[in-house]
Amino acid sequence: MVKRLVLALFLLCSPAAAQAPADVADLPAGVAEESIVVSSDYRGSYVTVFGVNPDRRGRGDIVVVVRGPNESAVVMQKRRVFGLLVNGDPVRFSEAPSFFAVLSNRPLRSIASPQSIWRYQLDPAASAQLESSTGDTDPSAYRAALVRLRRAQGLYQEFASGATPDQRSGLTMYQGGLFRAVVRLPANAPIAQYHADTYLFRDGRLISAQRIPISIRRVGIERRIHDLATKFPFIYGLLTVMLALAAGWVAAFLFRRT
Amino acid sequence: MIYLPIAEMPVNVLLILLVSGGVGFVSGLVGVGGGFIMTPALMFMGVPAPVAVATGASQIAATSFSGIMTQTRRKSVDWRMGMLLSTGGIVGSASGVWLFERLLALGQLDLIVSLLYLLLLASVGFLMLRESYHHWRGREAQGVSILRRPIKTVAHTLPFRLRFPRSGLYISVIPPLVLGFGIGALAAIMGIGGGFILIPAMIYLLRMPTNVVIGTSLFQVLITASLIVVLQSAATQTVDLVLAGLLMLGGVIGAQMGVRLGAGLKGETVRGVLGALLLAASAKFLWDLVVPPAERYVLGGGLW
Repeated sequence: MVKRLVLALFLLCSPAAAQAPADVADLPAGVAEESIVVSSDYRGSYVTVFGVNPDRRGRGDIVVVVRGPNESAVVMQKRRVFGLLVNGDPVRFSEAPSFFAVLSNRPLRSIASPQSIWRYQLDPAASAQLESSTGDTDPSAYRAALVRLRRAQGLYQEFASGATPDQRSGLTMYQGGLFRAVVRLPANAPIAQYHADTYLFRDGRLISAQRIPISIRRVGIERRIHDLATKFPFIYGLLTVMLALAAGWVAAFLFRRT
Repeated sequence: MIYLPIAEMPVNVLLILLVSGGVGFVSGLVGVGGGFIMTPALMFMGVPAPVAVATGASQIAATSFSGIMTQTRRKSVDWRMGMLLSTGGIVGSASGVWLFERLLALGQLDLIVSLLYLLLLASVGFLMLRESYHHWRGREAQGVSILRRPIKTVAHTLPFRLRFPRSGLYISVIPPLVLGFGIGALAAIMGIGGGFILIPAMIYLLRMPTNVVIGTSLFQVLITASLIVVLQSAATQTVDLVLAGLLMLGGVIGAQMGVRLGAGLKGETVRGVLGALLLAASAKFLWDLVVPPAERYVLGGGLW
């Protein structure tokens, strides 16, 4: 019930997804770790989503999307001004996912119609919302560039097959309708509240869906430093300067004799 | 590998120590803060530009403090001149941090920074190389070129003159104040200490004797860098304490070795090497500004 409420809230809050059928059922799914901790040895992690296709005959296709929070983004184009390359023609996206991984058992285009992909925001380009006015510039090239640049940073990922021995990421189907999706969360992915969304499509129609929260948070010294820097920035700055002076003094003292 | 809490990325500890040690060594050798190598090097390693600029300042503070301790023992700091330069530097760095935020919001920070680096490194590098060359030529041609330089500059003719006993000067207070302001502003925007501009300016414009130039410039750099750390922490929250600690560790050790070696070197040799280094760095910036990259689009705006 609570899950259904959460899903309903999600569908209401997200304008593009608001037209989702109200009668979609829950898709039984869960995550291996609901909380990922970031300590000083953090080097990224894996998110594992597993679930079961409720259809007894195993009909339909599974799509899993792991999303980071939406943030605004600006994409600019390098232009030549007096022989120099200058960043110009900015196009602003009011909402763009900070992390986006979509996994499916076969290519997304053959599972869902382009309309469904846009409506449920199943690909990163569909999730990026342009700010109302872009002037004369054609935004499609910018949208593609945003996806390309973020993909190069490992922040946008797409997988249309199962995991292989050399690659842990992917959506693997098992017998009895069981599925398991693994996504590599790179270390540069923002530390925030994430969501794993699972979708069951049949004949291009959404049958059931489920949203599971995943929290990524700092622990230990990482958390203390970050808290101090954001809550008491002035004290933090003074502390850094004092550390700098101490380091300089110690070095000068140590090297005095030699 | 260690995860940086503010930059939100893991870095190789050994690599950071090696780079900061190398930069510290150059810094101690010629008396520059070394930020103009450190900041681009950090960005090259993937540290976000605002974090690199703001955190670099804390390393510059540590390096210059340790340098000052050594220079003070040699009595090569003109405190009165240092105070004047720092007064200008305090106002300048505050304005610089403000401008930094504005440029970041406009998405033009990297262009301005690249252009500034290109112009400053090329002109200062050229001046230093030429000076070093003339010095080398002059020794064989009975030092003609040295005498051709004007003994008096604008600093000697402006009003509000003050005596600087340590430097043996009687000059106006306006040029040091303006100089300090400019260096402070540049330091905040470019993530540099500013010593590599300050030192030639002190030699050529203020006509300070070379033996007090390094110590005095380190003093101004220390004051400005410390202020920038606090201001950037408060304004943009981009100072990474863990990264700062690593940079300091490498930086101060390198600087101490550099200062030691620098004491046994001739001034014109050091200046010639630094000039060549600056010219090489400016060529890199020119390349990036002119040669079109494979990817025409860039992500901009926001802090990251």
